[in-house]
Amino acid sequence: MAGLLRRPDPNRRAWRVVLAVVRRAVLLAVLLAVVFAAVELLPGDAATATSERGEGEAALAERRHLLGLDRPLFTRFWEWMAGLPTGDLGTSARGVPVAELLGGPFPNTLLLGGLALAVTAAVSPALGCWASLRPGGAVDRTVRGSATAVLALPEFVVAVGLLLVLSSWTGWFPAVTLTGPDGGVADPSMLVLPVLALAIPQIGWNTRIARAALADESRAPHIETAVLDGLPRRRILLHHLLPGAVPAIAIGVATSTGMLFGGAVVVETVFNYPGIGGVLTGAVTDRDAPLVAGVVALTGAVITGVLLVADLLRVRFTGGRA
Amino acid sequence: MSSRIGLLLRLAPAALLIAAAVAGPWLTPHPLDAPVTAPYGPPGGDAPLGGDQLGRDVLSRLLAGGRELIAMALFIAVLVTGISAVLGAVGALRPRVGRVVERAADVLILLPAVLGILLITLSWPDGGRFAVIGVAVVLGVPYAVRFVAGAAAPVAASGYVEAATAGGERLGHLVLYEVLPNLRATVLALFGLRFVAAVYLVATAGFLQVGPQPPAADWALMIRENTAGVLLNPWGVLAPGIAIGLLAVSVNLAAEALAPRTGPRAVLPL
Amino acid sequence: MDLTRRRFLWAGGGVGAAALLAACSEGGTSASSGADSGPPRKGGTLRIGALGRSGAVIRDPHGTQSNESDYLIISLLFDTLTAPGRGTNTAARLASAWKASDDLKTWRFTIAEGATFHDGSPVTADDVVWSLRRLRDTPAGASRLPGIRSENITADGAGTVVLVSDYANAELPLLTRLTTFVMKKDTKDSELDRAPGTGPFKLDRFRDGNARLVRNDRWHGGAVLLDAIEVTLFQTPQAMANALLGGQIDVASNVGPVAARIAAARRDIQVIRRPDDMAMPIVMRTADGPFADARVREALRLAVDRDAMVEQVLSGYGTVGNDVLGTGDPAYVGAGIAQRRRDLVKARQLLRQAAFDTSKTYELYTTEDIAGLAESATLFATQVREAGVDIKVVKQESAAFWDKTWLKGDLYTSYWGTNDSVVFFASKTMVSDSGQNESGWKDPAFDTAYRKAIGAADAGERKAALREIQRIQHERSGYILWGMADGIDLAGPKVRGLPRLPGYGRVQLERAWLAS
Repeated sequence: MAGLLRRPDPNRRAWRVVLAVVRRAVLLAVLLAVVFAAVELLPGDAATATSERGEGEAALAERRHLLGLDRPLFTRFWEWMAGLPTGDLGTSARGVPVAELLGGPFPNTLLLGGLALAVTAAVSPALGCWASLRPGGAVDRTVRGSATAVLALPEFVVAVGLLLVLSSWTGWFPAVTLTGPDGGVADPSMLVLPVLALAIPQIGWNTRIARAALADESRAPHIETAVLDGLPRRRILLHHLLPGAVPAIAIGVATSTGMLFGGAVVVETVFNYPGIGGVLTGAVTDRDAPLVAGVVALTGAVITGVLLVADLLRVRFTGGRA
Repeated sequence: MSSRIGLLLRLAPAALLIAAAVAGPWLTPHPLDAPVTAPYGPPGGDAPLGGDQLGRDVLSRLLAGGRELIAMALFIAVLVTGISAVLGAVGALRPRVGRVVERAADVLILLPAVLGILLITLSWPDGGRFAVIGVAVVLGVPYAVRFVAGAAAPVAASGYVEAATAGGERLGHLVLYEVLPNLRATVLALFGLRFVAAVYLVATAGFLQVGPQPPAADWALMIRENTAGVLLNPWGVLAPGIAIGLLAVSVNLAAEALAPRTGPRAVLPL
Repeated sequence: MDLTRRRFLWAGGGVGAAALLAACSEGGTSASSGADSGPPRKGGTLRIGALGRSGAVIRDPHGTQSNESDYLIISLLFDTLTAPGRGTNTAARLASAWKASDDLKTWRFTIAEGATFHDGSPVTADDVVWSLRRLRDTPAGASRLPGIRSENITADGAGTVVLVSDYANAELPLLTRLTTFVMKKDTKDSELDRAPGTGPFKLDRFRDGNARLVRNDRWHGGAVLLDAIEVTLFQTPQAMANALLGGQIDVASNVGPVAARIAAARRDIQVIRRPDDMAMPIVMRTADGPFADARVREALRLAVDRDAMVEQVLSGYGTVGNDVLGTGDPAYVGAGIAQRRRDLVKARQLLRQAAFDTSKTYELYTTEDIAGLAESATLFATQVREAGVDIKVVKQESAAFWDKTWLKGDLYTSYWGTNDSVVFFASKTMVSDSGQNESGWKDPAFDTAYRKAIGAADAGERKAALREIQRIQHERSGYILWGMADGIDLAGPKVRGLPRLPGYGRVQLERAWLAS
């Protein structure tokens, strides 16, 4: 596979890796600053949002003080940012550490998103390759047509459709995700529908990217040489086409991570999945800014991680050139 | 000629659906807010698709519920396309601007659209419709600019633009009279893609109750409101679900038809 | 659709016996919905689902529990002094008896014989005093224990607790029914999650709002039959209903009418209706604004079609209201006041007399805190249009509603999640100086009647005063109470002995059992 590539200078490659890591970290920090600023523009605050009927102004002031809302903005921002790398995500409007509130749900969302990402990463290139075997053939047209059809569907529409067909009417899969004693998903079968609802639109999207990347790659000179040499199609595809298309496919799948996380929030509400979706919608109702910021920080970190992997794949497959 | 007919055929479903959604509110058989059946009443009698959670006619609400969604999506698509076309052309002429937009896109890729919607709602609870438009523009423009900039770069480097620049033409003139006219196909394709993305975003926001508010008739809201009674009257959810699905697919088909056969493809849906 | 973000008035209130509808499961297993067929059997694990949001889980018994699941778990682990009862507003729980002084200011509560904490130590008056003071010192303490200052909660020996009120209050025991959970003296905030309680169940494990509780064999309240209760938190009623239909849980608590209609077609599922569970009144501002004229309020009360509201908003799972709050209270007059019926002709006439401006559009504010609330506003607007009043429904996000509209708006929907007593509603929402006077109502005659009701030691005098309160309320208050929603639970075929009381009565699971 790598035989096709020039041997790059190892030092230069290491430098590229360091550069990629630093760049992604800086971008994440900028996002966090933007999020904190957005949250600070709130008209109300968490103290009023979580009060009870009948609490007076004095009680509210006391609660503000307890939540640290009366300290200067910059101090709070600095403390929040400084705490993030240590896993301290601040305190929610209800006075509970955010890390504690997200400790159970976030891994569940990670599992859901991760499974959907894995399904997407496995199925999309496979479909793309299958379609590329006979460009313009029946398989190619069918794959591209269906991919185009599903890629624009909102996840909640897919989720509700799946719920009706595969659960309410046929009873094949459970409609509701329950938590087991350990706080995780009680039964693997409960994951099927949420994962499908998330993965289907992304598979449509990534199949098209894979198909296009393979088509671009097939115009490269060394491929034409291989075809003229009379190598079998399958061999050309796996050994010559695919390696060149990997960076484009990886970036495509990596950018799907954000879509998957966003979709997860919506899909979780449909299936009662015990992830951050429920926490997040509640947090918005409560105007629980630290909690929302915490969720955004975590998802941002995960997406950063996936993009970094894609960056490194690009370094790996293109050597020092990028 | 035949290719022209093929193009029209691929644009037709979206055009028909949009026309139906726009005309729908005038065709409703029942008032939108008056109960005609029991809550989640089954189809039958003068409610062919049954009733919703208050027993209101699902068919009437389906007919009335698409106009707003489509209007918002169109408005967002026009706005994002317009802003991106100008910014992309400027970026091609002034590389520094281009780099800023690039960095913005790199940051925003870390913020999933749904989280963006919820964030804006949090900071702007009464924003409603404008909040959704704001999110769609902020999150959509950076990607769209990349798309335009990719196509604009060769144009900006072409001889006549260089000549106009040397002739002391102002930036605005260059963008509007020299660069953009040469990007008609790209901008049209971008518009199609942005419309698809906007439908996704507006519908998802509606489902999360940002934007249209009850008692308005809206496809995404109908799905949300009637999910509880899906076993009593599935049409309350199925009908708007199919409507959104068809809209997304047909608009996407039309956008495909408009896209140039070559050139950059990797524009994210959001 | 969304979860309730309940804001409760924690001062108690009477969940009275709904003596009307005894057995009312629709279809399915007729009246055996939890009816004890055969002798109660010991053993088994009851899996119950309750509504909640995982981000809003509160473990502190004296915190603001907005999750029904949290309140359920806490109520099974800890005892309150008194509890809602059948046929009476206040039944004994950790306090076995209570008695007032002649001036109705000093109340003495006797702690139940043999009450112990889960760690075996006996419950003393000191524990109770410490817990009540802790409750009183929470931010909402003043509204939870109104008129009782922290220093006026004292112990008298090991078995008696004395509460002194700032004013005469014949209804004081009502205040101790809901959040007076008793913990061991000096329980640290950091140890709340394992704090021993005195309740019928002990905590086995807790995670993200889901809990497993095991039987407390030494509970002072009698034998508990179930081995264990597993509480699962659900974000939405329909997810909970789906889990019950799929057999993943045995009881779906407070699941709502839609689920009941779905379950009605299933013979193996019991539908339990608990009447008078939730009031969803429409509030009209009386102090000023377009509804300050009593004739306009009367017109709107005549314009609403109550039967249609109950039918469409509650799917028929409810009862028609008569604009008097406190329908579950034994003191509720019911048929003693003629039922108001729809009369559009009279409504128009009254609007004309009051010179009400029918050319304007009036806004009715609502939220989606609880199922049916926004729908009730929508249907109300449709109905009063027939009387010539043009109303536009504005749905607000919950936080904005409580900040901006509640207590201030001209026209909005409210709700009360416990069916409290007549006196309680009067004291909280209608007396001139009450803290949560939702409609800005000031009525001297009403205030006089109220003061009589809570200050009178003589039962006959109190009864007359209570009737007067209700008569005035029906005649001219700021409330349109079009109906009362039933609380609805679904249960699998083996569950018996489930609670039948409305409101917080639904948490009393200590008598439930599972048939073989």
